[in-house]
Amino acid sequence: MHEDPLSAAGSMISRRALLKGTALLGVGAFLAACTPGSPAATPTAGGGTPTTGGATPTVAALTPTGPLNFANWDAYIDLTTLPGPDGKIGTDDDEYDLPSATLDEFAAKYGVEVNYVNAKIDENESFMATIRPQLQAGVDTGWDLIVLTDWMAAKVVAAGWAEKIDHDHTPVAIANVRDEYKGMPWDPGFAYHLPWQSFGTGVGYNRGSTGRDLSTIADLFDPHFAGKVTLLEDPHDTFPMIHLMLQAQGKASANKAEQMTAADAQVVYDFLLPYVESGHIRAFLGNDYLSDFGSGDTWCALVWSGDLASSGGPDDRFVFPAEGSMIATDNMMIPKGAHHPYTAELMMDWVYDVSRAARLANFIYYVSPVKGVSEAIKALDPEIASNVLLFPTAEILAKRHPQPVWDEATEMKVNELFAVLRGV
Amino acid sequence: MRVRPGLVPWLLMAPGLTWLVLFFVLPNLQMLAMSLSTGTISRGWTLTWDFSNYADALTRFPDQFRNSLVFGGLATLLCFMVGFPLAYGIAFRGGRFKNLLLFLVIAPFFTSFLIRTISWRIILGNDGAFLTVVRDWLGLVPANFSILGSALAVVSGLTYEFLPFMVLPLYVSLEKIDRSLIEAAHDLYAGPWRPGGAIFGGLFGAALMVVLLSGLGYLPLAAENAAGIATAAALGGLLGGLVGTFLISESFARVVLPLSLPGVFAGSILVFIPAIGDYVNVALLGNPKTQMIGNVIQNRYLEQNDYPTAAALSFLLMAGILVAILIYARLLGTEELSGGRA
Repeated sequence: MHEDPLSAAGSMISRRALLKGTALLGVGAFLAACTPGSPAATPTAGGGTPTTGGATPTVAALTPTGPLNFANWDAYIDLTTLPGPDGKIGTDDDEYDLPSATLDEFAAKYGVEVNYVNAKIDENESFMATIRPQLQAGVDTGWDLIVLTDWMAAKVVAAGWAEKIDHDHTPVAIANVRDEYKGMPWDPGFAYHLPWQSFGTGVGYNRGSTGRDLSTIADLFDPHFAGKVTLLEDPHDTFPMIHLMLQAQGKASANKAEQMTAADAQVVYDFLLPYVESGHIRAFLGNDYLSDFGSGDTWCALVWSGDLASSGGPDDRFVFPAEGSMIATDNMMIPKGAHHPYTAELMMDWVYDVSRAARLANFIYYVSPVKGVSEAIKALDPEIASNVLLFPTAEILAKRHPQPVWDEATEMKVNELFAVLRGV
Repeated sequence: MRVRPGLVPWLLMAPGLTWLVLFFVLPNLQMLAMSLSTGTISRGWTLTWDFSNYADALTRFPDQFRNSLVFGGLATLLCFMVGFPLAYGIAFRGGRFKNLLLFLVIAPFFTSFLIRTISWRIILGNDGAFLTVVRDWLGLVPANFSILGSALAVVSGLTYEFLPFMVLPLYVSLEKIDRSLIEAAHDLYAGPWRPGGAIFGGLFGAALMVVLLSGLGYLPLAAENAAGIATAAALGGLLGGLVGTFLISESFARVVLPLSLPGVFAGSILVFIPAIGDYVNVALLGNPKTQMIGNVIQNRYLEQNDYPTAAALSFLLMAGILVAILIYARLLGTEELSGGRA
């Protein structure tokens, strides 16, 4: 543990090499489609002069308290995953409780314990269901820092369930957050959230199991893969992705994926239902798909962009499919009533340090919201410039869509259709 | 101070009653109110006495209700088939190893329920032991054949999960059978149970095989499957007949089995009730077509935020189980449960 970040990066190269040839790409470039409110998001790779160093809080009276209870998604921080007894990474027996340089250094610097619960969040709705009653009752949820996707984060802010972030405690984050992330309509001034990472949704497959390379969403419906296909558990991922595929086949309306309607969702449903009934699609999963790739129970699936690269096996590949892909951002928030909001703010600030953010992005292969990270990653490892996860090509960017934000009626309709597909 | 004698039983019951009221009656009343409410999670719920939630819940999820009944029933049946010989062996042939064997039955409970279910994902998974033998060594199934994500996986998980709940009550009722009754039966010329054993075993085996295969979806009960069903019945009948002919004695059929019925009754209730409401096994081992009613309730509560439907479903499930058990108690009604001669 505590190894030099450069050597950690070095150990990733073999996996990374496999990603070459899939397609290509610039952290800088990516978010064009993502921010409705951003002024023509000119994605120059992390412009501005990034601030470095840890936060030096100006309010001397506050001392960090702990433990910091931090709930996050799987494969979303630099936890050193070691294979379990079966010798494979990505199977159920992996040991996750291993050190993360990001968290350990934070704990050492501020002298607080960090209770990071990996994979606590597998899906926005089901995680929210575990804390909604506490938020409604106005009591502590048990968490100081949570990470939610845009559409859910917007709901939490609207409901008044997030603590206000004191920007005096997060100077580095405010200085370093990339311009493309600014001005989200639901929280334009980062009063309640700070981006954690952005993720793409695309097609993942195991080269050994499928026996061929996949390049489209339509490939998931190859009869050879019957029973070995999974889709994502969040309708905000699965519905627009299938919509993109049907569009490419001329079977769906011309509505953009981010503006798909209840009628479009019905078309997607009508297409998917026979595949679910025949068992072609085995399940709708969150990060769970990682272990299924490891065991060969899943051959190909809709997946989130960085997971297979950071936590999958050597044969697991990710592609941005030809039909297009989705992009969204997961955001750090402090739930109302949290016991250690100041420590949570320190953590938010901590991960916005450029070198730490670069080390993290280079580990988890998700898109960092921190200015100057692309240069820093290339400095860490020149070879990585060809990694499409961190540096997507212009072609990928042109076909990338933000997740749809549905009004309540549409969302209920979509959820209803999705529930029938999932058999519940 | 003297306590009035009439008060004593109430005082003794007070802790239990308090517990029941606080954690059973009150939550249920709250759930009852929720099941008759309308609204949304963001606008809040209002009690409108909307009974359509119940009608809705009943008519919208027939498949999931059926899955619950079928999988719960099959798991109970399989638990009985596996558990009875096991309990019998421990009770009658365990000797000085009885305690050790009983400990082994409950040993898996030292591990969390989730871990045990997840291990089934590994056992039945693509590179698990089962498929390694059946697919790789014997080549009986195609390369993309999956056990995971099937009714078989769900029922296997349920059976394994709840087996001890069947074995322990069976063991208790078998253990306390007076051995002299069996000797008396032998004195009265009870021997091998023929031809009764062959006939009964054959019928039972045939029925069991057909129920299993159709319940798991491999052989739906339809006219075009008549040949398959007949084959399965013949095979099951043969196996059952052999077991009935050679392994079942008349003293077992006439003395041991009837005396063990209270255990069978208790065991099957203890298995059936949790199995029918289980959702973990389906979530980890099933697919969209094998979802049970528990999964619907979980989804409605935790993902769709449709509390009224979820509450109505929970009530229907509870009521359904209650009715089923009352009928069962009538049919198999044992004195211990119906409070007869004790």
